[in-house]
Amino acid sequence: MAYVATRGGERAIEQSERLYRAQMGQIDAARVAEIEKALPALVDRVMGEASLYAPDLAALALAQSGGDLYEALLLLRAWRTTQPRLQIAEVVAPDAGFTHRRISAAFKDIPGGQILGPTLDYAHRLLATEVLEDQPYAPPAVEPAAKPAPATHPSLAEWQRAQGLVTTPEAAPVPRDEIPDLTREPLLFPAKRAHTLQSLARADTGGTLALGYSAMRGYGNSHPTVNELRLSEVEVMVAHPDGRRFSAGRVKTSQAEVVTTKGKGELRLGFTATLGWNEVKCISAATLDLNAPGAEKNSPVEEEFFLYHTEPVESSGFCIHFKLPHYVTFQSSLDNLRAAKTAKAEQAQPTDKKEETA
Amino acid sequence: MFDRHGGEMPSDDLTTLARADAARLKHLAEEILPRLGDMQVLKSGTGLVMLPMRDTVQGVEFHLGEVLVAEAHVRLPSGTEGYGMVTGRDIERAMAMALLDAALSDGTAADRIRAFIEAEAQAQQAADTETLRRIEATRVDMETF
Repeated sequence: MAYVATRGGERAIEQSERLYRAQMGQIDAARVAEIEKALPALVDRVMGEASLYAPDLAALALAQSGGDLYEALLLLRAWRTTQPRLQIAEVVAPDAGFTHRRISAAFKDIPGGQILGPTLDYAHRLLATEVLEDQPYAPPAVEPAAKPAPATHPSLAEWQRAQGLVTTPEAAPVPRDEIPDLTREPLLFPAKRAHTLQSLARADTGGTLALGYSAMRGYGNSHPTVNELRLSEVEVMVAHPDGRRFSAGRVKTSQAEVVTTKGKGELRLGFTATLGWNEVKCISAATLDLNAPGAEKNSPVEEEFFLYHTEPVESSGFCIHFKLPHYVTFQSSLDNLRAAKTAKAEQAQPTDKKEETA
Repeated sequence: MFDRHGGEMPSDDLTTLARADAARLKHLAEEILPRLGDMQVLKSGTGLVMLPMRDTVQGVEFHLGEVLVAEAHVRLPSGTEGYGMVTGRDIERAMAMALLDAALSDGTAADRIRAFIEAEAQAQQAADTETLRRIEATRVDMETF
């Protein structure tokens, strides 16, 4: 029965894809360029979750999928597998990026000061409906300061370490090609910290928010305060065949550190960084990292629980697979259900007969 | 920023070439190309560079994700090699960088290329300064906060 349905669906499948793509119409380079220019936050979010820094390809994936984020991610993750890995860049130090934004909600007077950078945090949330009435909205120009900001800012955790507020042991550096890599090895538990942080860097923004928010609301064991939130551009330092080191260009990164005073006489920190600028994801994921030590099994802040459930391609893929024909398995379950009902009825019948004869 | 890597200072020339304005870079490479003779292309294509970062909490190094790059590797008739790698997928741009690197190492049009690198470095510095002046405008002055 299931085979007949599959064969009969061929034309319907073809037309259904056409019907979906008809909504977007023709896709050209100009549309892709406009998406990249007009939607930097969305492009960044997609690049982080795809774990592939390529703004034009992310914009193309968005154009092609009509804005379905999970479809866009799948396109990018699949495309990525067609590309050879040429090098592993030098390790980026967390305080080394060309910093656009660096704030702390825990400490007012941080070394280097509070730099708001580009943000809508303090904006009035008013919809500019006049744009629809043919009155374009042009943002007022930034008034640059007379002197430039420093290009880099010190790490807050380093400052706290120097003050004895944080005493987490520092891991020993490993050779670059021995850094654990989830794209080449499976995620096993208890997870290596490098796997946890790579997994969170690629995690679904919505997924980390949902689970991180549950911890923030009290279903975790620690309440977060943002120790440091940073948006930067970091250099991709590669090697020339003759050994010279140079930057092949800059990529946008975001990182968040959250802190709790619920420790043994010192501050405890959680951390997440990702490609692209995505603050909600970094704060939520850092909250999960903060809450993970000692978390109860099967709770949302337990590492295995949140890492498995925030992988965007696997989770969305598993969800949408339920739309595919399950006729045979469902029919089989239905047969079992009917058989059980019949058996139950038959069991009940002799009793009735007994009652009748009694 | 980049500690523990042999101590050699990064090559500012290569960094400047990688970040140079794509149109101007290609234009200069085309201008110099006829003087380089029959060169051999050893590599030309796109690929990925994995980008690791160090965590601030435990100092653990982990992979942030991969960056799409274009790469080119050439050899001149003299045996001198040139290499280019730039973020993105513009292979022509990586090739132009590789040609200029090879020419510079070979002493072909060296003055012209040096002048180009100097001008581009100045433009990049000016662009960074302008960006940082705009960023500085968002500094919170806590006394008047």
